[in-house]
Amino acid sequence: MGTDADEQAIRLAAGMAKKNKGKVWAVYVITVKRALPVEAEIEQDIQRGEAVLDHMESIAEEVGIEIETDLLQAREVGPAIVDEAVELGADLILMGVTYKRRFGQFTIGNVVPYVFKNASCRVILYHQPVPVGEATE
Amino acid sequence: MKIVIMGCGRVGAQLASVMDANGHDVTVLDIEDYSFRRLAPNFGGTALLGNGTEEDSLRRAGIEKADAFVAVTQGDNRNVMAAQICKHIFNVPKVICRIYDPLRQELYSTLGLDAFSPTTILTQMLREKLED
Amino acid sequence: MYIVIIGGGQVGYYLAKALLDEGHEVLVVERDARRVEFINNELGSVCIRGDGCETATLAEVGTERADLLIAVTARDEGNLVACQVAKHRFNAPRTIARLSNPSNEAIFKKLGIDVTVSSTNIILENIKQEVPTHSLTHLLYLRDKGMEVVDIKIQPGSSTIGKTIKELSLPPDTILSLVISKERKPKVPTATTVLQAGDQIIAVTPAELEEALRASLSGG
Repeated sequence: MGTDADEQAIRLAAGMAKKNKGKVWAVYVITVKRALPVEAEIEQDIQRGEAVLDHMESIAEEVGIEIETDLLQAREVGPAIVDEAVELGADLILMGVTYKRRFGQFTIGNVVPYVFKNASCRVILYHQPVPVGEATE
Repeated sequence: MKIVIMGCGRVGAQLASVMDANGHDVTVLDIEDYSFRRLAPNFGGTALLGNGTEEDSLRRAGIEKADAFVAVTQGDNRNVMAAQICKHIFNVPKVICRIYDPLRQELYSTLGLDAFSPTTILTQMLREKLED
Repeated sequence: MYIVIIGGGQVGYYLAKALLDEGHEVLVVERDARRVEFINNELGSVCIRGDGCETATLAEVGTERADLLIAVTARDEGNLVACQVAKHRFNAPRTIARLSNPSNEAIFKKLGIDVTVSSTNIILENIKQEVPTHSLTHLLYLRDKGMEVVDIKIQPGSSTIGKTIKELSLPPDTILSLVISKERKPKVPTATTVLQAGDQIIAVTPAELEEALRASLSGG
């Protein structure tokens, strides 16, 4: 979703791809509320997604690897990632997540567990530590 | 006045006892006979086992001759359904219905049901006390 | 079509599955978290946790753009409220409620639910068709006319055997449209047609007069 963790994850993926002569797909998933059809065009979200993917492309260019980007629309992020990986025939899913709290407690969210449980390829999780002093938010 | 009350919880039982003491003809319905223990010891009305969302139970409670019906069970949906049956099928002149969920209460009020939400009323009371 | 289903029990689950297979967009609202997980695992992310009677839940699932809302929980009153909220708050063009108590059918109609389905009634109808001792079977109910198409068998020993149609005292607005003899010969009855044991009669009658029709044909 364009966080610092995503940027680090892309650098990590790019590094691995370069070493193994692989290819990287950067995938951005727009979650569409049920009140709208899944194919609804939400200008703001699309712009944000494209901006994030453009940034990923520039990082890949910097590292010197081949990258393709995909902007997806779905109800849930987890299934969208898993299905996309199958469709692309990916050997590895690399996800970046940041430290999050919900109701005052650390939470991993529901995307990561879903991908771990359902992915048909290898999965690596990059977890971004929270800067000291920000952990209360 | 002949009054049928559905639900003999704290509110239903107290209302039944008070209206009975004031000389009204009261019938109170509940699906559990254990609930009737809440009625005042000198309650002179009728306590009936039955489900107020069923036409037969309502008929047994004398709904066809009732002047008023009050639905105060714990279930919002049960109250809504029973109140609508009394209003639209039995044409009871006065029908009152408790709905805890404020949004549902709003909707059914706009649909012409005399519904009140204890949640909204209590919140208002507390707010007034706090801001006093 | 976009279809919202309230209740993810057995009925809701299989209904969702069948409608998805037909290519519809389907969303199930279910209160029990484990049931939600089960449905999402089986059918893909088509189930959310919530109370289908709550306005907030129905707003979240986009009831506003739904073509149809079907309430199939085990509780009649919950199904009624879900349909009414969908209709009056979100202008759902069509609502269907499942009923456990068949006598709620008339009430739900009066309160604006478009279609009601009572599994109890469906099973009863099936029993009537299977069990030959019942001399009258419902074939079709013409809802907007309030008329019933029924199938009546003339039982052996019935006092109307040997009588002509004009000798019967049929209820008003009732027509015997077809008589099928024991020898499987269908014919359109006339005033002088004589009833035989084992005849099967297809008749049209106002729903409230069906019992009178049965009585006049069986002589009882």
